[in-house]
Order: sequence, then C-alpha cells, then structure tokens
Amino acid sequence: MAAVAPTRAEVLSLFRSLLRTARQFSDYNIREYTRRRAADAFRENRALSDAPAAAAAFVDGKKQLEVAKRQAVVYSLYAPKAKNIMEMKLQ
Amino acid sequence: MALSRRLLPVLLRRGGCLSAFPSAARALSTAAVPADAEEEEAVTIKGVRISGRPLYMDMQATTPVDPRVLDAMLPFYLSRYGNPHSRTHLYGWESDAAVEEARARVAALVGADSREIFFTSGATECNNIAVKGVMRFYRDRRRHVITTQTEHKCVLDSCRYLQQEGFEVTYLPVRPDGLVDVAQLADAIRPDTGLVSVMAVNNEIGVVQPLEEIGRICREKGVPFHTDAAQALGKIPIDVNQMGIGLMSLSAHKIYGPKGVGALYLRRRPRIRVEPQMSGGGQERGIRSGTVPTPLVVGFGAACEIAAKEMDYDYRRATTLQQRLLDGIRGQVDDIVINGSMEHRYPGNLNLSFAYVEGESLLMGLKEVAVSSGSACTSASLEPSYVLRALGVEEDMAHTSIRFGIGRFTTEEEVDRAIELTVHQVKKLRDMSPLYEMAKAGIDLKSIQWAQH
Repeated sequence: MAAVAPTRAEVLSLFRSLLRTARQFSDYNIREYTRRRAADAFRENRALSDAPAAAAAFVDGKKQLEVAKRQAVVYSLYAPKAKNIMEMKLQ
Repeated sequence: MALSRRLLPVLLRRGGCLSAFPSAARALSTAAVPADAEEEEAVTIKGVRISGRPLYMDMQATTPVDPRVLDAMLPFYLSRYGNPHSRTHLYGWESDAAVEEARARVAALVGADSREIFFTSGATECNNIAVKGVMRFYRDRRRHVITTQTEHKCVLDSCRYLQQEGFEVTYLPVRPDGLVDVAQLADAIRPDTGLVSVMAVNNEIGVVQPLEEIGRICREKGVPFHTDAAQALGKIPIDVNQMGIGLMSLSAHKIYGPKGVGALYLRRRPRIRVEPQMSGGGQERGIRSGTVPTPLVVGFGAACEIAAKEMDYDYRRATTLQQRLLDGIRGQVDDIVINGSMEHRYPGNLNLSFAYVEGESLLMGLKEVAVSSGSACTSASLEPSYVLRALGVEEDMAHTSIRFGIGRFTTEEEVDRAIELTVHQVKKLRDMSPLYEMAKAGIDLKSIQWAQH
C-alpha cells in the first residue's frame, strides 16, 4: 500500500492528543519530557517534504501516542504520595 | 507560532495537573484548610525531613526507566513469561525471539554483530569476565595487564585479585585533566601483556578517553583492548571496529533501562576467548550460564533502540543544560574548580569542587537536590574519591566535590533550582567559614602554622 502523507488536520490532532496525554502523567519529569519531545519532534518534522517520510513519521507518532497512553495509566497507578519538589510552591 | 498560541489557552483552562495549582483548587472550596496539609506530603527518612521528592541530578549513579522501555518490558512480566531456553513450547519460543531481537538492538548501537553480544547481570559482571576471564584463558602466555588509576572499582578489584594469583598489573597514572597519556600506555605494553583496560567515559568526572588512539595502538601491538562503556553507551557514538575494541562492558540502567542487566561485547574477528566465571547449563554460548532474564533483556534492547534514535537530541540538550548549570553557579560564586577536562567530556556529567566549603555539610544542606559526591560505590567510606586523588586534586578540594548528572528527563527549571539551592548553601557555608575570611583577606592558607593547644 503506498504511503499517503497525513493531512494537516491529522497531524494537528495527533499533536494535541500527545500533549493531552503528556498532561496525564503523574511524574513531573516524564510529563515535561513528553510535552517537550513531542513539540520538538513535530517542529523538526514539519520540514519533511516527501510523502513516504512524512507518512512514516506520522505512523511512528501514532505508535508513540499509544505507548504514552498506556504508560500514563501505569504511572498514575503507582504515583508516590509525596510530590516532586519541582511541583510544589516555592517556599 | 500560531499553533502554540491556540493551544495555550486550552492548557491554561484545563489547569494542567491540578496539583500544580493547589491555590486555585483551594480558592473554590469553603472547607477549612487542614493544618497539616503540607506536612502529609513531607518525606521523613533516616531522620531527615524533606518537603517532597528531591529533584534528581544523579544520572551517573542510575537513570529512571524510560516509559517506552517499561512498555516494552511489561508484557514479559504479565503473559509472555516463558524461559527463553525452553525449546518445546510457545512460551519458550516467543521469549527466545524477544531475546534475540534485543540482542540485535544492542549490537546495532555499537556496530557489532549479534553473535558478539552476551547478556550478563550488569557492567560489574562484564568487567569481571573481561579482566579475569581473558587473563585466565591466556594464563600460559600472557601475564601482564595494563589499566588506569581512574577505572571503576570492579576493574581495579579484579586486577588486584589477579595480582594475588601471580599476574602483574600496571596502573597507569592520568594527567590532571583526567586523560590517559597514550604514549605512556604504548610504552607500558610488553610482549606478555594480555589486556589493556581503559574506560570510555569516567563515571565520576565525565572525561572521555581517546578510544580510537588506544584501540589503534592495541591493534598494532596485538593486545586485546577492553573498555568499560557503561557510562558511554548511547551517549557518545561507539563503533567497535573504528575504535579497535576487543571487549566492552555495557550496562542497561545507565541508559534509561532496567537495573540488573548488562551485556559483554566479545570480538569474533580476531576471536577473543574468555574463561567463563559462571558455571552451569552453558547458556550464552557457554560464556555466561544462567537463565537469560527476558524482561530485563527486552528492556535493555528497547533502551538501546531509543538511545540510537535520541542520541543527537539528548547530547545537544545535555550540552545546553550543562552550560546553563555552569554559568549559573559560576556567575554567583567564585573559587570553583571543574574536575576533569572540559574539552574531552560527556556533557551530562559535571564534577565541581567548591573551595573553603566542607563537603559533607554541603551535601547535607542539598537534600532537595539528589546529587552525589564521589561515586556511589565508594560513598560508604569517608575516604576522598580515588579518581580525584589520581587527578592530583588536593584532599580538601576532593572532599568538597559535587557531581551533577544531567539526563534525558532533566528540565531547565530543575537546573535553575539546582543552581539556586547550591549557591545558597555554598554562600551560607562560606559565610560561616573562618578559612574563607582569611583567604579573602589575602592570607595564604598553606603558610599558616596551626598551633597545638
């Protein structure tokens, strides 16, 4: 099956889903990383001009979204009671 | 950028993670604020009370498991729990397939062949097999080992063990910047030298040794070259053929993989043989007996695959963050020494010594930042780090060294907070320090005759 490049709407929807899933991580570092890495990856791949490369990146992005969704649940199941210092108000 | 502008109000409206805005939540409630709401979240351990979990900057000790790695591992704890050496059923077959796939991923990251990778319990076990195993196999013709004074304890301890068995070991000194003198190494090689062991990236000071040069010399002289690449794997590019590496120790938990697994690279052409240290059923081609732990190995493979993709991104980020950390601290306090070469360094490892500050008290005051002084392996004793001593660092400066580890998940805010906490603590201690007063007044501390009472 020929690789079809994703539409702009599909890409934006995937990006929003990734950011939404990132917010659901109970761990500060993972949450920030997911958000940042997604933003940087989409920004970098914006320049991808040929269809197969863009399609491959999109498929990879969808896979990462599935992983992120599962792991957000796992991390919240085992979230420690004490918050990370970075998440607390400055004394 | 139009995209982020549109998303920003969405994020703010949702409030993100509610715990980040406790005041907002409380403002909507009419219930009285419980007196000890904050206290509940504090952590008390070993008599120390911290308000929350510290920010983690000790990446050289260990790294958090990447969620993508955990995702790859979980099925093997839940339903695919077979023993990879079971030949008779699906559970064994699928477990074996997963192990072999992981093996290929580890091999790809270092430019090796799958058949050259052997799974072990970690880099310490690999170092033991490499040092003791090689020398014992060739014990009739090779009686000499060359290593450096800044190697990991397991290498040094294995060498000491060999000395008791009658082998000779040369512990090469390093220059003040932590790098080994390659000419000196070449001179030290004898006709009966059986192994040269030099670690790729030092765990305490982050210095990167000239592997290609050392590999070239070892290849010319026909001596196997072993490198402990536990801190280097996935962080700097490694190619076993370009670097002339004969044996290599790899560890999973330094590259966002699980603890308890590592791999030994053993060259096939020319073949390097070792005497196995674990006797048993002959798993891993007889090199390392024992059931291969499928979930851990799969995690290691996933970590290597991710590292291959993310190496450039992570390296650039670590460089930026390290510069931010250094500038931030140096901009506010003076009399700081960076231990180890700045040019030949992996940027995620910054070891600083603060003059006129007592090390233990500095660490005690930094309980909201998880950092270390000396390496985790030697911190049980109070002796100053032997690595810093090998660099020629004075005892008092060695005691006051702090190692900051920056990794894939470190944020700019964490670096800023670490700077703030460190500077605050250093200034506080220096204010109390009579030695600092005297030094600022221009007195040379070395010239003081301390009176006996």
